Amino acid sequence: MALLELQGITKFYQVGSVEVRALRGIDLFVEKNQYLSIMGPSGSGKSTLMNIIGCLDTPSNGTYILDGSIIHGNSIDENNGHHTVSDDQLAYIRNQKIGFVFQTFNLLPRISALANVELPLIYAGFPKKERIEAAKYALERVQLADRMTHKPNELSGGQRQRVAIARALVNNPSIILADEPTGNLDSKTSNEIMELLQQLHQGGNTIILVTHEAEIAENAQRIVHVRDGLIDQDTKTNRIF
Amino acid sequence: MGPYLQSALIAFSALFTNKTRAFLTMLGIIIGILSVSLMGAAISGVDNVFDDSMKSIGDRVLYIQKYPWFMGNGEWWEFRNRPNLEPEYVDKILEKSKYAEFASASLQRSANLRFRDYAIENTVVEGTNWQSAYINAPKLAQGRYFSQVEDRVSAKVAVIGSEVAINLFPNLDPIGQEFFINSTRVKVIGVLEAQGKFLGLFSQDNIITLPYQTAKNILGYTRHLSIAVKITDGVDLETAKEEIRYIMRNIRKQRPMDSDNFAINQQEAFKQQLDGIKLAITAVGLGITALSLIVGGIGIMNIMFVSVKERTREIGIRKALGARRSVILFQFLSEAVFISFIGGLIGVLLTTGLVGLLKKYFVASLSPNLILIALLVSVITGIVSGIVPANQAAKLDPIESIRHE
Repeated sequence: MALLELQGITKFYQVGSVEVRALRGIDLFVEKNQYLSIMGPSGSGKSTLMNIIGCLDTPSNGTYILDGSIIHGNSIDENNGHHTVSDDQLAYIRNQKIGFVFQTFNLLPRISALANVELPLIYAGFPKKERIEAAKYALERVQLADRMTHKPNELSGGQRQRVAIARALVNNPSIILADEPTGNLDSKTSNEIMELLQQLHQGGNTIILVTHEAEIAENAQRIVHVRDGLIDQDTKTNRIF
Repeated sequence: MGPYLQSALIAFSALFTNKTRAFLTMLGIIIGILSVSLMGAAISGVDNVFDDSMKSIGDRVLYIQKYPWFMGNGEWWEFRNRPNLEPEYVDKILEKSKYAEFASASLQRSANLRFRDYAIENTVVEGTNWQSAYINAPKLAQGRYFSQVEDRVSAKVAVIGSEVAINLFPNLDPIGQEFFINSTRVKVIGVLEAQGKFLGLFSQDNIITLPYQTAKNILGYTRHLSIAVKITDGVDLETAKEEIRYIMRNIRKQRPMDSDNFAINQQEAFKQQLDGIKLAITAVGLGITALSLIVGGIGIMNIMFVSVKERTREIGIRKALGARRSVILFQFLSEAVFISFIGGLIGVLLTTGLVGLLKKYFVASLSPNLILIALLVSVITGIVSGIVPANQAAKLDPIESIRHE
């Protein structure tokens, strides 16, 4: 069974009187420990797709199963034919199964790197001692053990992104979802970050990378092209792992 | 419980990132709580003093007098034509009444005192009957009251108030000393315990009590006579009052259609009067207090809306990382409660200081209960004013708020 199953996923928005069809029927299966890139120009629907995969949003229709949990589905036992989850259940799933890495890092500015990495564990309800232990270990994995007490504004862009990656790793998620992780970085730092993701993949993590840069997308084993709300191409790269 | 505790800690530390703002917001609550607790302290102070003062009147005692204690507009002009009371009424009342246990006449006028080189002007001199010792007399610190015989023979003996004792006989045992009231020599046979001030205003210790006729001889004055009647325990006070009224009308030979030409006063009248005043103070106080707390609460609500707006992105990040609605709600609600509670705490501390100062000039008393209520009110204000902004924060969409700059 695939780690991530999307079948017939659609997403329609009502903007005034106009219906925007962001996704028009996406089928996607991702196996455990796969390294996948989602590519597409802006307006293609790749951000919407990422939000749905990341459980930040729910689809209008279709089935989404993540690591055995039905996030959204057409099931017969529900009155309206949909299996839906509440806001709080989505928060729980994000906390347990997804590690986010954002283009703009999205670290909290007033607290240390260690405290930032601790955040997902706070919301998972871990006691302080375990939180600090796990956060330290995650920061060691991204080679930032010596920068734990620094606040984000005392770190370089590459270091901030590594803190964000540590935060994504800390709760042992089913997938790491990286949205343009190198978008705000220079090419040297970008390479370092891509190498780090590569290492995590080799260490057994499942990674979904969302980007519009072909060069960055080439780091993955598999590239999915999204265009006009549909999957346009699904290719394997030459990378051998 | 873990995430909620952490949220409270986050909320607490958020106060320190904007110290000035938090303090200015607190100011409204400080003022509100200050007025709540000062009001409460003043009311309970008045209450305590009132209870003490009422003991000197006695709750089983009826006072027959020319005027009622509390008169309406213009009534005085009507009552001033009433005949004066006579000391002989005392025996007649005792003879005819089934319910009167003791009765005693009382007249008061100020006089000057002298002992060796010490002189006191304008001390209240009261002439009364021996029974007054059993009606409403304060406890004795030293000595005794005058006896029935001393009363009958108009002995020149005096029971003096504590203030008189201190001022007239400094460093001396007053018992047995002889001093002058105007130009008459009298002997001290008893000293009263300190009474404090009636309703916190008039000293009850600057007084001298003499046998009735002795006082009348010295003061030469009988117009404002008052007769105190102690009603036997267990008798309904209203029934007794009706009986005394009937006896008085008989003594005065009033016709059935005439209205009473005397007044029967009792402690109840004071209570009613004071209850009215207390109600007025409380109502005005509550109004002002509620208003200042509402203003303070609006201040908190306002600043919480700003805080939620400023931290939209932080909220988005927290939600993306798995913070549930209730956790976010709790974080912002506890921030509002902290502001308001700390404000309340400062308000209570200020009140404690002010009450200490106020006690020198006016009555006030701050009880632990009152402090607890004030703090509770501050917490409730925080919850009420924080709930709407906190709920707004909790409901934010993570996708949109994470993009918020």
